[in-house]
Amino acid sequence: MFELLAQTSLNAIYAASYISLVAVGLVLIFGVMGVINFAHGELFMAGSYVVVALYADRMVPFFVAVAAGLIFVGLLGLLMERALFRPLRDNPLGGLVASIGFLMVLQALAVLGFGVRMEHIPPVTQDVIRFADKISIPVARVYVIVTAFVMLSALWYFLKRTRFGWALRASAQDPEAAALQGISVTQTAMIAMFIGAGFAGMAGALTAPLISINPHMGHSVIITAFIVIIVGGVGSLEGAVLASVVYAFVHTFVTTFFDGVLADITGLALMLIVLIVKPTGLFGSADRA
Amino acid sequence: MTPLLEVQNLTMRFGGLTAVDRLNFKVEKGNIHGLIGPNGAGKTTTFNMVSGFYKPSQGRVLLNGQDISGLPMHEVANRGVVRTFQHSTLFGELSVLDNALIGTHMTFRPNLLKAILGLDSSARRDALDRARTSLEFFGLADVEHEMAGDLSHGHQRALGMAVAYASRPDLILLDEPFTGMNPEETRRMMGLMRRLCAEGTTILLVEHDMQAIMGLCDNITCMSFGKFLAEGSPAEIRNHPDVIEAYLGGARHVA
Amino acid sequence: MRNFVIWVALAIALIVLPNLVSFSQQEVLVFLTINILVVASYRLLTLTGEWSLGHVVIMGVGAYASALVTKELGLWVPLGIIVGGLASALIALALSVPLFRMKGFYFLIGSFAAGEIIRLLWKRFRDPFGGAKGIKGIDPMPDFSIGIYQFDFFEPVSYFYFSAVVVALCLWILWRIEKSPVGLTFHAVHWQDKLAQASGVNLRRYRTMAFVIASGFAGIAGALLAHYIGTINPNSFDVEVMVFVLTWAIVGGTGTFYGPILGCVVLTILNEIVLRELGLEQTRPLIYGLILILSILFMPNGLESIVQKVTRRKDAK
Repeated sequence: MFELLAQTSLNAIYAASYISLVAVGLVLIFGVMGVINFAHGELFMAGSYVVVALYADRMVPFFVAVAAGLIFVGLLGLLMERALFRPLRDNPLGGLVASIGFLMVLQALAVLGFGVRMEHIPPVTQDVIRFADKISIPVARVYVIVTAFVMLSALWYFLKRTRFGWALRASAQDPEAAALQGISVTQTAMIAMFIGAGFAGMAGALTAPLISINPHMGHSVIITAFIVIIVGGVGSLEGAVLASVVYAFVHTFVTTFFDGVLADITGLALMLIVLIVKPTGLFGSADRA
Repeated sequence: MTPLLEVQNLTMRFGGLTAVDRLNFKVEKGNIHGLIGPNGAGKTTTFNMVSGFYKPSQGRVLLNGQDISGLPMHEVANRGVVRTFQHSTLFGELSVLDNALIGTHMTFRPNLLKAILGLDSSARRDALDRARTSLEFFGLADVEHEMAGDLSHGHQRALGMAVAYASRPDLILLDEPFTGMNPEETRRMMGLMRRLCAEGTTILLVEHDMQAIMGLCDNITCMSFGKFLAEGSPAEIRNHPDVIEAYLGGARHVA
Repeated sequence: MRNFVIWVALAIALIVLPNLVSFSQQEVLVFLTINILVVASYRLLTLTGEWSLGHVVIMGVGAYASALVTKELGLWVPLGIIVGGLASALIALALSVPLFRMKGFYFLIGSFAAGEIIRLLWKRFRDPFGGAKGIKGIDPMPDFSIGIYQFDFFEPVSYFYFSAVVVALCLWILWRIEKSPVGLTFHAVHWQDKLAQASGVNLRRYRTMAFVIASGFAGIAGALLAHYIGTINPNSFDVEVMVFVLTWAIVGGTGTFYGPILGCVVLTILNEIVLRELGLEQTRPLIYGLILILSILFMPNGLESIVQKVTRRKDAK
């Protein structure tokens, strides 16, 4: 029993690491621009396909492909900001709908470029770290955990310790006051969009060798991300990370001990309950209530 | 005789701040009653508690002796207390007539089944009559087909009152009805209020500008910093030392 | 009198139309008819200002309910369709309890979550929902004759006539509701909920009413669909279908009754005739996505705003 619990916990930590990368990006975009990016799951998907195209098809080293995924999807984010969210700045529902349109475009492009079939790409490493007889973790998963930890720490440092980060947080809290302070709303929106999208892309790229890739994979990603940001409190980065951990543990444990569909239902029910009981989220952020 | 409206120990706290502190006053039937005070005195908060917009932290609001405190706004409205809003809160995208028709909601309850089957034509006709009468009362009959959002400022204020009046309430609560009006509009608005009152509608109005309502109100309650300060006829209030002090103090504060 | 002539002409056109097109286009006509009801019922919900992402799943509730009561209990199909509508309305009533504690963006996400839960329940419970494979062999409409016309429901033309009558009846009811004091109250709740409440309107009640009515008609649409295609599964009602409905509504515009219907008709014609003829059917999601983006950017009031401009100009002359 202990082995099973320990093993499931390790799986949950892995899930929490890439979920929080996705969710933090979604929260950042919402915080700075006030728009919910429905295409966030497809940005994750795009990151995976960058790895398919570079690492699997063209033998580019894995971590170079991951970096390319971050940059490419970050640029996609900039495209969204410029083409969709900037013209629709006064229309949050319009921004959301436009992001749904963008989601369909990305999905269709993936189908056209790669076909609907699942992509399985060669593993980066077959190594496994073994703690005990039945407790182990593949090194490829360790890569995801470590990278997520490093990137989230870097983001935290950027937001709390640098001038840009300060500007970003200021414009998230009060765009008008920030504008009066000489902070360019457009500039902060671009930074938020690049980081937010880039993180989603990186999460997709990092996990690419570990999951089955197809053009419609974004769907479950965005649902997970929604659950996490609602449970964590919309607009709270720390809340998103904490909620990612909570969700990952709940989901992984229900999957292990019952089944996957029930785990999905549990996650969604958790989110509905939070929406009903405490819409500001379990780790409710007072700063953006 | 029980007063139409009585406020007992009404208190509202927002976090650590007490916006209204154990306020008491009564509004007699058929009166025009003013609630005044300098900025930040808690008038609007009081108003919002009476109308059901806020739930009081403590104390009671009695209507004809019945406790209505904490009821949601539409329940308060259904008991005959209808409010207007500061600025020009209207259904800007709907026609003036439709605005007034929504005001008749409580009298002529829409019925889904009858509406589909076309069995509500007499109710619809009566509602239309009622709406038109209200518009006429406030001099808006000529503009009934215009969009409410396109009306002049004075007309929008009048329409706000027409919507409230369309339900024939016992008590109308007016939130700063004179803000942003020129003297001519103010004079006309005061005339309308007197006529409303003559028709048997009691009026409670909140106003920041003391001079505007001196000639209008039968009775005035003055509050300052969330607390009761004074009550009486306009003449008594005008000469009340505490009121003068509060307003002068407030003026100094503003200056 | 003039109106009467227009309606008769429209009815004749609808009777003749399916006989002028190919078999596959006849099938498209059936789907179009059903989709018109979906998007028109969606508009009723948006009247109160709330945008749901669960509408298509609610439609699926009607499809599943009607399929099950006809298949398992042997209920007569037309009654099954009504049961489908009622089932959707009831589920909506139950969902309204948690969902209408939220507004705006939260309602949107909440409705999305509720819809996904329903879809997962279909997947999880093989009995009676058939799991991921769904329900197959759903009873077709039984054939019948009205003297001058023999309804044979293996023919799409017959099903088109049948669904057109049902949908026309539903649209008429939706229209009556919108033009009634109830409809006016929906508008009031949307535009200025505080003033509506101060006028004695129970906001929650009217929001719920719009949601339940819209869902009931969506359920009827779902049931019509189920008995036509004969097989349904959780993916028949997934987010992609919801996006299509959203696209129709937004491209058409939700300011008028006919706006979403116009969007649905125009995009269906574009899709079925233009894209299919050009052999571009694979790119349908791409083109829908682009249309959605372009219309929200450059035509925020939808096709209906263009129609209004044209008719207004005519009136001016």
